[in-house]
Amino acid sequence: MTTMTNPAPDTFTTGSAERRATADRAARRWRHARRALGAVAALAAIALPALTGPYLITLAATAIVLALLAMSTQLLAVAGLPSFGQTTYLGIGAYTAALLAAAGITNGPALLAAAAGTAALAAAVLAPFVLRTRGVTFLMVTVMIQGLAVAVAVHWTSVTGGDEGRHTPAVTLWPGDPLTSTPVIYWYTLTAFAAVGVGTAWLMRSRLVLLLRAHAGHEPRMTALGHRATLELGAGYAAAAAISGAGGALLITINTYVSPADISFGVAAAGFAAAALGTALAGFPTMTGALVAAVAIVVVRDWAGSDGTGPLLLGLLLLTVPYLRPAVLRLRARRVNRPGAAA
Amino acid sequence: MSTVLLHLDEISRRYGAVTALHPLSLTIPTGARHAIIGPNGAGKTTLLHLIAGTLAPTEGRIVLNSRPITRLSPAARADLGVGRTFQHPAVVDQLTVADNVALAIRRRLTFAVHQRAGHRALRAARVAAALQQVGLTGEAATLAGQLPYGRRRLLEIAVVLAARPRLLLLDEPSAGLDPAEISHLTAVIRALPAEVTVVLVDHHLPLVFDLADTITVLASGQHVATGGSEQIRNDALVRDAYFADTTPATTRAPRKGARPTVLDIEQLSAGYHGAPVLDQVDLTVSAGTVHALLGLNGAGKSTLINVVAGLHPARAGTRILLDGTDLRASRTARHRVALVPQGRRLWTALTVSEHLAMAAAAGRRFGAGDGPGRDVADILDMLPVLRNKLRRYPAQMSGGEQQMLAIARALLLRPRLLLLDEPSEGLAPQIIDQLTTVITGVANDGVAVLLAEQNQRFARAVADQISVLDSGHIEFTATTAVLARPDAQARLAELLGVSTAGTVA
Repeated sequence: MTTMTNPAPDTFTTGSAERRATADRAARRWRHARRALGAVAALAAIALPALTGPYLITLAATAIVLALLAMSTQLLAVAGLPSFGQTTYLGIGAYTAALLAAAGITNGPALLAAAAGTAALAAAVLAPFVLRTRGVTFLMVTVMIQGLAVAVAVHWTSVTGGDEGRHTPAVTLWPGDPLTSTPVIYWYTLTAFAAVGVGTAWLMRSRLVLLLRAHAGHEPRMTALGHRATLELGAGYAAAAAISGAGGALLITINTYVSPADISFGVAAAGFAAAALGTALAGFPTMTGALVAAVAIVVVRDWAGSDGTGPLLLGLLLLTVPYLRPAVLRLRARRVNRPGAAA
Repeated sequence: MSTVLLHLDEISRRYGAVTALHPLSLTIPTGARHAIIGPNGAGKTTLLHLIAGTLAPTEGRIVLNSRPITRLSPAARADLGVGRTFQHPAVVDQLTVADNVALAIRRRLTFAVHQRAGHRALRAARVAAALQQVGLTGEAATLAGQLPYGRRRLLEIAVVLAARPRLLLLDEPSAGLDPAEISHLTAVIRALPAEVTVVLVDHHLPLVFDLADTITVLASGQHVATGGSEQIRNDALVRDAYFADTTPATTRAPRKGARPTVLDIEQLSAGYHGAPVLDQVDLTVSAGTVHALLGLNGAGKSTLINVVAGLHPARAGTRILLDGTDLRASRTARHRVALVPQGRRLWTALTVSEHLAMAAAAGRRFGAGDGPGRDVADILDMLPVLRNKLRRYPAQMSGGEQQMLAIARALLLRPRLLLLDEPSEGLAPQIIDQLTTVITGVANDGVAVLLAEQNQRFARAVADQISVLDSGHIEFTATTAVLARPDAQARLAELLGVSTAGTVA
């Protein structure tokens, strides 16, 4: 080939536009499907007490608490921080609500705000120590914090009631009107969850989460721009603790009881697994993924596996999703890359 | 008389027993355009790290605007107006181009709603201005990780400029940029306000001489000279330490005789997320020849190399044949296709000698049929710069030394096909000449070489054939002899955006 050749113009632009249009259409369809699914799920959640009995309703309320724990873990995953210790803040929220309720403050929203606030405050105090580490070391530190929180809950009997736990009066919405019927407790929990969800959705679009993602992506770049990692990640850590703390208040609302078992290793593992599974579903940490995974975990572990097969089914779920996802993606990529895919 | 912005007082840096930078004093006035040049391993990047605060000096003092900053963190120095780029573009891949720039625009905490709304509008305007400054407006919504390498570098510059630094530290800003982008970059830096001080490390000497009013030359961690560009050009010591032979590189004599085709690419198409990058590209590389790919950033050079290396999937209809058999992406090592990737991709936890041992083992395993081949000793003869660094980790070596290691690793695989993605990036002129010798030697041993390059002088010195990629297809292929013809020169200049003379470095 010693001469210059000028190949004829090809169909580059046409092919490109068609492929992009196909990808756009697929994305639009997926968006619509997701919205429809979300609406159906929301309606089903609202109508649940009319469709089923108290056992399943209580289970659904438990799923909501686990979902908040998972979302709290997920917010830190967005910041590149794998946390196993969010049950600590769930516990701080729950014991705060329990102590306040015992002292006569039983108003639900007030307990929710106090639990979230105290958890956030505790996280802000711990943040400078915890955030000296990253990655696996961070994970190990949070495992330690989870263990320490259980130890404190067991041994500080004057406040926590030790292993026996603390019973609390029923939560009220109006003075003198305690929530005792299972459906009403469930609807209140669902409403509170929706409120926290709206707050979290706002947070996910905020500047803070942009900064958290950027720290996760390239911390030296952030530092070189003058961003303080401990301060900004600390704000994220406190926000995540607030979500967990709100879960603690709802735990009190549902059970009118809290004990160290509510913040045990098993609960922490379920919350962490829900966040990890949620990430595996979407390929990156999303709140919707964490929520769906938390519900899936409760369905598989406590409902389908109520005969004792729960751990086995949960194990299968946790293995299947991450293994199947690459295969599903490959199939989708093959469809988009196929010549004439637009046809 | 301009005021002093930055004063370095006998700063030095040691890594264990290795001295990366011997005590150095420098005074840089406000508004200066100060370049730091020197061979690979001279301590240039270390110096920038010391100024930016990512490394603490072993000894010495740093004063910014009459204020000692030696003990301040990088973030605190950024607050005082220090902005910097890194040797490899430091952008957040997971965020969009616009979001990356938005990170640079910080604000004081404010809770008043109307003020916040004002902030948002202000930030959006500054993001748009910064992107326009470097020519990335059209890619505002693209994820930074999906940008071609050179565009990522421009993005990083946009990010740093958006922070409005008083002292701008640029670490090899032109590496990986195509000629048109380099001219653009020169214009951007020249258009900076006069009160912004620029400290620039680069190997692209036309850029350095074009921009800098003062130049400091370092070699092996020692200060060689500081002076105006004329003075530096004529300094005998500097010439010895750094400048390569300035006679134009000779183009290779065409190799005689028929040579078997090693790599045969037919109808190669590939893309990212539905957007095509390469469209039905045909290309062949014969045994013992060097085929160079030129083209602007984003033309598809790296994608082509990565598809052949099996790192990026090709679209249906693509055929890649190696010695007549289908090259399977999962078995490139078995087929003895070796890659020197852009960004080097060395193993951070392995020393140089461990890198070499690992590659030599793979070479022995897959290349056993071909006789003894090159061993580690031969490679160290070929790339002597690695010889006294065998126990170092990549992080303890300069960018250029890392590049040499990546090349050594590839050669030890005893490749039949050697792929190099911008091998000359970040290399000092002298080392580029060495690299020319190395690649020519490899080709003379019968290896087929395919390389992507921005440095035309280097490409023409090593290549038998040059293909120019433009918007995903090969615009033309020619031998270097044909490329020397004026009509070919004009066509090349038109495709690459500048005259070829501008790229001599």
